[in-house]
Amino acid sequence: MIQDARLYQILFLALFLALGIGTRDWTLHPEVVLVAIATCLLTQAVALHWLAKITPQFALSESVWITYRSPLITALGLSLLLRTEHPGIMAIAAVAAIASKFLLRIHQKHVFNPANFGIVTVLLLTGQSWVSPGQWGEESWYVLLFLGAGGLVLGKVGRWDTSVAFLGSYALLEAARNLYLGWTWDVWLHRLTSGSLLLFALFMITDPRTIPNARGARIFWAGAIALLTFILRNSFFLSTGVFWALFVLAPLTPLLDYLWQAPRFSWLITPAEPKPSPHLPSVSLVPTND
Amino acid sequence: MKALRTFVLTGLLVMASFAVAAKAWAFCGFYVAKADAKLYNQASQVAIAHHDKRTVITMANDFQGDVKDFAVVVPVPVVLKKEQVRVAEAKIIDRLDAFSAPRLVEYFDEDPCDPAYDRNVMPAPTSPSAGAARESSPRRSNMGVTVEAKFTVGEYDILILSAKESDGLETWLIQNGYKIPRGARDLLRPYIRQNLKFFVAKVNLKEFDKAGFANLRPLQISYESPRFMLPIRLGMVNAKAAQDLIVYLLTPNGQAEVTNYRTVKVPSNTEIPTFVKAEFSDFYKSMFQTSYTREGRNVAFLEYAWNMANCDPCSADPLNPEELKQAGVFWLPDPQADAISPQPGPVFRRRPVRSGVFITRLHVRYTRDKFPEDLVFQETNNQEQFQGRYVMRHPFLEKPTCARGENYRRSLPRRFEQEAQTLARLTNWNIQDIRKKLPQMELSRRSWWPSWLGWGDY
Repeated sequence: MIQDARLYQILFLALFLALGIGTRDWTLHPEVVLVAIATCLLTQAVALHWLAKITPQFALSESVWITYRSPLITALGLSLLLRTEHPGIMAIAAVAAIASKFLLRIHQKHVFNPANFGIVTVLLLTGQSWVSPGQWGEESWYVLLFLGAGGLVLGKVGRWDTSVAFLGSYALLEAARNLYLGWTWDVWLHRLTSGSLLLFALFMITDPRTIPNARGARIFWAGAIALLTFILRNSFFLSTGVFWALFVLAPLTPLLDYLWQAPRFSWLITPAEPKPSPHLPSVSLVPTND
Repeated sequence: MKALRTFVLTGLLVMASFAVAAKAWAFCGFYVAKADAKLYNQASQVAIAHHDKRTVITMANDFQGDVKDFAVVVPVPVVLKKEQVRVAEAKIIDRLDAFSAPRLVEYFDEDPCDPAYDRNVMPAPTSPSAGAARESSPRRSNMGVTVEAKFTVGEYDILILSAKESDGLETWLIQNGYKIPRGARDLLRPYIRQNLKFFVAKVNLKEFDKAGFANLRPLQISYESPRFMLPIRLGMVNAKAAQDLIVYLLTPNGQAEVTNYRTVKVPSNTEIPTFVKAEFSDFYKSMFQTSYTREGRNVAFLEYAWNMANCDPCSADPLNPEELKQAGVFWLPDPQADAISPQPGPVFRRRPVRSGVFITRLHVRYTRDKFPEDLVFQETNNQEQFQGRYVMRHPFLEKPTCARGENYRRSLPRRFEQEAQTLARLTNWNIQDIRKKLPQMELSRRSWWPSWLGWGDY
């Protein structure tokens, strides 16, 4: 059994990417994917080197290879979600994503989800990229695959509550809207079964290293993202609202961590193990996760 | 002799086929015919020019019945004033259609024994060069219905209504002589609650007779709103069968796409047998139907995406700035303003005129069960160009005079078979029927049997 859920995550994201390229009509260029992967890994290497230089007591708590799992996840996430014709734009997104992990930190946790930060950065700054929310369609077998794969990963990392809170509150909000407007329920279902929304809910906002540590805080936080997404989508007609919502609300995490004290997440502790005691030292110094 | 000749058969053939039984405006409104005419919707065309928050929608009107029966209700995001509604020239939609229609391209193989052959080695049909072109005062009414505006534009009488409840709106429309399809009330409600207004148009017979047009012209509305969508649900009230909608999206920076359904490219750049030339329309219809079924009947098909400054091959001349303006494009610099302040320097040093318009042609075949939601679009910076393009290569069938000619000739049956299989796969036509229509050729005694057997084994 694989101990580190990141391996599952890499496996699933790669599977989705292969499925997407193989069966969906994506404007995705292979060289852009390669650039994403190469740039993410390279940025991670440079950042680690730099970190080792400025902090003499720095030591990797994980083996060198393990530290590269996280940027690989970021690269796959970027490739799945971000569309651009120019490899250079993808490189900017990748550098921004990985650099944000090292530079934008509060209390040993990075503030933004790296892939999300990368996407929003190039959307804001370059005008040469876009996100295609309709790219997955809404076929049910995809839904099942997403749920199955996501569930496995979530089960592994013990942060399924975030996905459930997000999808649950978003579904409730959309249901209330549907009821008020008087649409038939297939409209509601169609809005919820979007592959992109599920991908986001299962693989992006569940990133344990950027979400609040305490369960109560996580549920509150996921609910807030759902609410903002709902508002952006229905009042501002922003179909990519979910990415903006996460970006805007990510800085709430340190505040919520302060209010809800709880042990910090570490990848190498499986949910089956007893909860770490507060005396357990922090496992790693470097950001290791997507 | 030129190595190859390229013809573009007009894609209008294709479009004519969609319009056979076409009534108008299935996409966003329903008919509210005043007479009890049996109306149904099958195909409609709409052009949407959009940038930032501004939208100009041109709705082609191919209404076939008696004009006095024509009336339509379209949800719109804002109250439209008279200056926001105009009548466009009928041919503008035809121009967009002709420019962007799927096209059949034909090449002629040349004599492999001609000495010039080596210099013009049979080029594989070129794929489209992706990225090559960078280049009245409100009047209160009862039943919660407010007539926000009322005016006449060209041959149309326009009403802009807002309503509080769908019952009231339905009753109001019925009392004012509009025939509402059964089941419309439930569909009006979501639009009313989203605070949309209703654009109601019918024909002003006096103006229509005065203008002397044979057909109704397209209506064009412009407004400012962040909504970039097309209401299709209302159009499904009085149509049971699948409906075809062609949307021409005109945006400044790149392709537009649908955000709540998949946008899928139609099969393109495939080589098909030459007999298809005579039945291209049937071919395209069958091919579209096959793709539509294969993709699960719930996608929007991309038939064309191109910078409007050029085309390759062109099925029609690109639209000139005046025509683009007619089609609703509002972001281009005024050509007259250019004339007033000519740029200094010799003419050839002037920058090439960039049209700055990207056209995305989407073909949506929708039914109630597969398209529960209205279409929502977004503009992107995707400059990738795409066209629905089908290639015929006419074989050189003269008697060979050299060894290479013999080889070429022997290779033909295999090529015909491949083309036949491609065609069968694309259209779901019977492969045996296709094979019967393939070019018949006499092969020399030496090569006839092996080739025939090799071919027949497929």
